[in-house]
Amino acid sequence: MNSVFLQCVVGVICLILLPAQAQETPDSQQPLRFEGYPGVPEFEVVPRKDELFFYPCGQCHEAMEPNPEIRTLNTMHDAEIEHGRGRIWCLSCHNLENRNYLNTLLKELVDFDEAHLVCGGCHANRHEDWYFGAHGKRVANWQGERTLYNCTHCHNPHSPAIKARAPKPAPPVRAGLKLEPGIKHERSAVWDAQEEHEEQ
Amino acid sequence: MVVIRFIFDSVREMFRGPREYWMWLLALSLVVLFGAWRYSEQITEGLVVTGMSDQVSWGFYISNFAFLVGIAAAAVLLVIPAYIFDRKDVKDVVLVGEGMAVAAVTMAILFVIVDLGRPDRLWHMIPGIGRFHWPVSLLAWDVLVLSVYFLLNLAIPFYVLYSRYRGKEPNFRLYFPFVVIAMFWAISIHTVTAFLFSANPARPFWHTALLGPRFIASAFASGPALIIITLQIIRKLTSYHVSQTVIDLLALIMTTALQISLFFVGAELFTDFYNEGAHAASIHYLFFGLGGFSSLKAWIWFALALNLTALVILMIHPLRQRTVMLNIACVMTFIGIWIEKGMGLVIPGFVPTPLGEIFEYAPTSVELSVAAGIWAFGILVFTLVAKAVIAIEQGKLSCPPEEQRYTL
Amino acid sequence: MSNNTGSGNGGGKFDQARRNFLRGIGIGTAAAVAQPAWGGQTFQDTFADFFQKDYRRMSVDEIEAALERIERKAEARYDVEIDCQNTPPQPGVVYGYAINISRCKGYRDCVHACVKENNLGRDSQMQYIRVLEMDQGDFNLEHSDHYYEPETVPVEGKHYLPVQCMQCDDPPCVKACPVEATWMEPDGIVVVDYDWCIGCRYCMAACPYWARHFNWTVPEIPAEEMNTNTHYLGNRPRPRGVVEKCHFCIHRTRKGQQPACMEACPTGSRIFGNLLDPDSAIRYVLANKQVFRLKEDLGTEPKFWYFSD
Ligand code: SF4
Ligand code: SF4
Repeated sequence: MNSVFLQCVVGVICLILLPAQAQETPDSQQPLRFEGYPGVPEFEVVPRKDELFFYPCGQCHEAMEPNPEIRTLNTMHDAEIEHGRGRIWCLSCHNLENRNYLNTLLKELVDFDEAHLVCGGCHANRHEDWYFGAHGKRVANWQGERTLYNCTHCHNPHSPAIKARAPKPAPPVRAGLKLEPGIKHERSAVWDAQEEHEEQ
Repeated sequence: MVVIRFIFDSVREMFRGPREYWMWLLALSLVVLFGAWRYSEQITEGLVVTGMSDQVSWGFYISNFAFLVGIAAAAVLLVIPAYIFDRKDVKDVVLVGEGMAVAAVTMAILFVIVDLGRPDRLWHMIPGIGRFHWPVSLLAWDVLVLSVYFLLNLAIPFYVLYSRYRGKEPNFRLYFPFVVIAMFWAISIHTVTAFLFSANPARPFWHTALLGPRFIASAFASGPALIIITLQIIRKLTSYHVSQTVIDLLALIMTTALQISLFFVGAELFTDFYNEGAHAASIHYLFFGLGGFSSLKAWIWFALALNLTALVILMIHPLRQRTVMLNIACVMTFIGIWIEKGMGLVIPGFVPTPLGEIFEYAPTSVELSVAAGIWAFGILVFTLVAKAVIAIEQGKLSCPPEEQRYTL
Repeated sequence: MSNNTGSGNGGGKFDQARRNFLRGIGIGTAAAVAQPAWGGQTFQDTFADFFQKDYRRMSVDEIEAALERIERKAEARYDVEIDCQNTPPQPGVVYGYAINISRCKGYRDCVHACVKENNLGRDSQMQYIRVLEMDQGDFNLEHSDHYYEPETVPVEGKHYLPVQCMQCDDPPCVKACPVEATWMEPDGIVVVDYDWCIGCRYCMAACPYWARHFNWTVPEIPAEEMNTNTHYLGNRPRPRGVVEKCHFCIHRTRKGQQPACMEACPTGSRIFGNLLDPDSAIRYVLANKQVFRLKEDLGTEPKFWYFSD
């Protein structure tokens, strides 16, 4: 483990985690560090904060009155949250008192660099897979130091489904030959029957 | 030395003949040269000048190869009656059959060589300096059995002819063991060639235990067809005696073999189509087309029609005994099997690909020209060999004992 | 097999003779080395190329010499300085690959990353990876579309299946090769010695996954697109007339890097690792997911798994 990582860990641990109702001085709080499942190989997470456009959020929010009322925002943030099918809203994940942190459903503080801890609150199975490398992406190597992309690197938390986009070009055939168009791709007859049934 | 004189005399005999004979040799040589010229194109450009692709990675060359190994194996149909049943009439022509085997094996080997991407690396196969992946690779097996068969078919006739040349009867005890080996070897070359295909579970169309028997049956139909016609040509053009009983015998063998061969085809069709699974896709492509592609359909039905008609002719005795009808049946069988066991067998193995892609293949003019060149070369080899064989067998070419004293 | 010992001895003798001969030629043509002939190659190189032994029988020095020739040839042919290495397999490592097909969206990013990484001929149009599009509820490869080109993927009602060399543990392609030009390395990667392959294409017929591809023509790669980090058994420029295939990016993975397809995958569907390491991601997948392999019934024992979650 390199020293940068150690410093990060130490730094994170230094922030004391307190129950949500006891939060007073944000800087002395310790955000959640979920140590994960037994046997999880060591890893570090690609930091995320420096990629965030508005961060630190406190810059603006410090001057604003916290408003816990569930509502649709008509500000510079995403108005529609295509996530959770209406069961969550901003403050499900963002901390009310300290906007520079996220929080879990239990209102435990979470650093933006450790956003996966928030996601894992609901998506526990995915989260576990992510720890072990079966979900998400690892950076550059398969051996040696294990660096993982955070959930939020790939999924926009406000609209996490991966968007459809154009595929790269279809395969060519070997030089000098050409693909005859019009292959009729058959498919299982069951599906034709099903479609017919739906049309009726 | 008498051997050198024997070889010298034989070669001289090969190039002696009337004008028509020379024209024939010349015509064949021209085709060979043309093929060689087109092959040089393939050498400089690469196999990209053929119609083959990653999807259909073997084509016309390997199709001809598979067929020709069968023709080579069919020589055994003369060897067995001649040497085992000691039939005098067959013995007279058995050397012609073996000459045909030599020519067919030569063609088969040439077809494999032109199919190679790197013919310059052929030496990699030589055990010792190269790596010969025997006995694991079926292709290594095929190379082995074909080369040995080639040598056997050179050695036995060489010995027999050489004895005749010296005015002696060949020592039966000496060559009989080799004849027995050659017999089994003939079956083995074609079986191994069939196994070369059927060893691949990746290609369900080939992956059937019936392929070996099917190969043998179709070889024993197409081979005699070719021999019958060749023998008649020899009878017509030379004074060499070819007994009608030989032709009758071959016609009978051919009838039986064709029946069995068609029965096997029927068995394949039934197994694949009764409960048509994914494995039947290739045969479906062959007979009915697949996904809108059906370039082999017309050919295979044509082949089937030829074979069936030939079979009908052959099975009706009065028809079979009429030379013209027999010849028609022979030509039909030859072409029918050539399609069925050539392109009809090799190409569908690749369509659809193991990933289910349908991509068609058609030989290019380079492939057709090279193939024509190789066929012409084979016919040329056969003509020359047959010429010498006939001369020696007729006693025109000999070196009687009294002369041998003066020969070093 | 007696064949093996026989070839060993014969090889030794031939070797000696060849080395002597080469030395002779070396002296004779030392002056001519700089002059390109024989299609941009020196006579000496051409000669040495022709008599080059197969990879597994070359001595360390011979491999070194071969690597240098490869670099010279690339320079002559593509006008690029490449670095051709011979990174050995790591002990205690056998590679395995798994794809989460419920994540795969059919973008084909892996396909094109592979083309770039592995110096695949741009005009010969070869690709190691095929992504198949199939109807949901259907897993019949014969119903698959290889050439799908919709506006956007994934298309509703379709699912995608990327296929490449499975690095079978019992590879039929290796059995097929008549000259042992293809074999399985100790780390489980099935490789081809492009300088030993005779181009018979029997291995292509034998592979049940359509993973092998043939150089129908000389692969053309623009100089600026050439990946100069190469490996003898991997992505070095290939000659015409030989077979090649996916090699799990041998030049990267043996140094601990991910295969290019895995790195390129935007959805993280691809999971690669050491099958012998119980803590590896691939082992986690095998232990915790319902995995399957393509055409398992053929007994090829692919080291390439699929799963969905
Ligand atoms: S997938 Fe094909 S090429 Fe790859 S190891 Fe298996 S048989 Fe060989
Ligand atoms: S094409 Fe090359 S690797 Fe494949 S079987 Fe032939 S010689 Fe071996």
